[in-house]
Amino acid sequence: MKASLQRISIVYKKEVLDNLRDRRSLISALISTIIGPALLLVMIVIVGKTLLRDQTENKLKLHVVGAENAPTLMLFLKQNNVEILPAPDDPETAIRNGDLNIVLVIPEDYGVNFENGRPATVQVIEDSSRQSAFADIQRTTDLLENYTKIIGSLRLMARGISPTVTEALAVETVDVSTPQTQVLVFLNMMPYFIIMVVFVGGMYVIIDATAGERERGSLEPLLINPVARWEFVMGKVLASIPFAILSVFVTLSAFALAFNAFPLEEYIGYPMSIDLKALVGIFFISLPMIFLASAVQMIISSFTRSFKEAQTYIGFLPLIPALPGIGLAFMPVKARLWTMMIPTFGQQLLINQMMRGESINLLNIVVSTAVTTLAAVALIFVAFRLYQRERLLFGAK
Amino acid sequence: MIQVENLHKSFGKVNALKGVSFTAPNGQITGLLGPNGAGKTTCLRILYTLLHPDQGWTKIDGLNPLKDTLEVQRHIGALPDSHGLYPRLTTRENIRYYGQLHGLRGEELEKRIDRLIQLLDMQDIELRRTDGFSSGQRVKVAIARALVHQPQNVLLDEPTNGLDVMSTRSMRTFIRGLRDEGKCILLSSHIMQEISALCDNIVILNRGEVVASGTPEDILSSTGKLNLEDAFVAAIGSEEGLER
Repeated sequence: MKASLQRISIVYKKEVLDNLRDRRSLISALISTIIGPALLLVMIVIVGKTLLRDQTENKLKLHVVGAENAPTLMLFLKQNNVEILPAPDDPETAIRNGDLNIVLVIPEDYGVNFENGRPATVQVIEDSSRQSAFADIQRTTDLLENYTKIIGSLRLMARGISPTVTEALAVETVDVSTPQTQVLVFLNMMPYFIIMVVFVGGMYVIIDATAGERERGSLEPLLINPVARWEFVMGKVLASIPFAILSVFVTLSAFALAFNAFPLEEYIGYPMSIDLKALVGIFFISLPMIFLASAVQMIISSFTRSFKEAQTYIGFLPLIPALPGIGLAFMPVKARLWTMMIPTFGQQLLINQMMRGESINLLNIVVSTAVTTLAAVALIFVAFRLYQRERLLFGAK
Repeated sequence: MIQVENLHKSFGKVNALKGVSFTAPNGQITGLLGPNGAGKTTCLRILYTLLHPDQGWTKIDGLNPLKDTLEVQRHIGALPDSHGLYPRLTTRENIRYYGQLHGLRGEELEKRIDRLIQLLDMQDIELRRTDGFSSGQRVKVAIARALVHQPQNVLLDEPTNGLDVMSTRSMRTFIRGLRDEGKCILLSSHIMQEISALCDNIVILNRGEVVASGTPEDILSSTGKLNLEDAFVAAIGSEEGLER
């Protein structure tokens, strides 16, 4: 047993040294770890800028037909940060073409109706199918409703009636989404990026140590050494693990940096951060997935003839566990015990819960870690068998 | 000592070996001669435990490779058909890796590496990464790492393939030196001149069968020819492998 451990450690050390000297694969591994956090940050900043930023700070440019018919309304709008502009001759076409977002039409009989206490018609011309006009439309209709309310209240008070009689309901909305949970819609993609890194982090080491050996012609002489095949498999699998762990660590650090050091508040209007404790938890939850990924990659590379071929097959690998991750961003699944039985899927749910700062069922962590680790061990044994085969020398068809 | 008895091996429908038997004694160079596809590499791969025979057996110093795989591997040093190096490791590191896999450590290992580097005249490439080495340099490193544990049995698959005249000469001198140390050497080649220049015993293989074997004199007398070249042609029934 001691001799086995020694041989495993020799293979391990050689592979680590060899791969540390491989500048190209190190750089590509580093890039793949940073791409997730960077992408997410850029998305949040862009979306935050266009959707989430408070619009009232900008002057709303409102084009009005017949502004002279309603001087008090115009005054009210101007007081509420609206710039009144004359409307073009054919406002409907202008809206349809998207030249303007909204046009307000005040008919000539406005003044007469208003003075007599009748509902004075004003027309809002808009294209509700145009997303970019949404904010302007919303703001204009809100202001008009406000004006109606104020004038209505004043009229009731002039008649000695409390304005509150018209308010049968006082609707209060309690929005439990904190600024964090709003942007967390995007952070739902974080498990996906982490899974990617789990699968890519050690990939080059495994391919280099298996299909790469075969391609270089160094596999045949290596196997003549007095080392059991399972010892080779262990040494090579283990060598990939520090690389994968380092990749996950770098990714999580990049996430921490992106959300805690970057001045996100300037872009999305409120502070946002990721709890460092959650990131530590995510790191540990990812560890069994790393073993699993290495084991699966070891199995796949036992069949492949060349580095390229292995890279092609193994490159598809992260897509399989990532599919439910992508789905998760749109269709949340609750973390139940059965979901923890599915390796990588359970972890994605747990990562999601940790991100949201939800309380986590300890049993779920134990079950998902145990099942994934067992699956990894089982796959390693499959790899032992595959590396016993004579065909290993040639790469199977 | 290497013993091979009634070896059969097929890959799918191809019968690579059809009952090969021979013995390679200590202190002698035994040559496996035969045209491409005769079964030389398959035979050697069975000997160095990478393939299992369908039928028949091999023994190395009396050990059974199927049962005592690791022990047999400790008794052999092999230069297989493909002998790629690790391009990101230096010559010394390549040799050291194999030495460590054989359980060698520390000063003992470094001394052996020093000796091999001297013996194979590799001082100039000792600390260079092996990326971009010439084929002569590659073979030297591959031989050095295969012999770092000082095995009693040395198996060489086409050791001078692709080498220039000078490298071939020094390789031959090196192999003779190993013989003089009392090692059992089995080498394969498809080139008759190569075998006749080096070998004390010759086993001629053709289409998976031994068609002639023994000392060069034995082969001459059994084929009734005056020189080895004619004997080789008579044995395999073609002129393949004579051109150089």
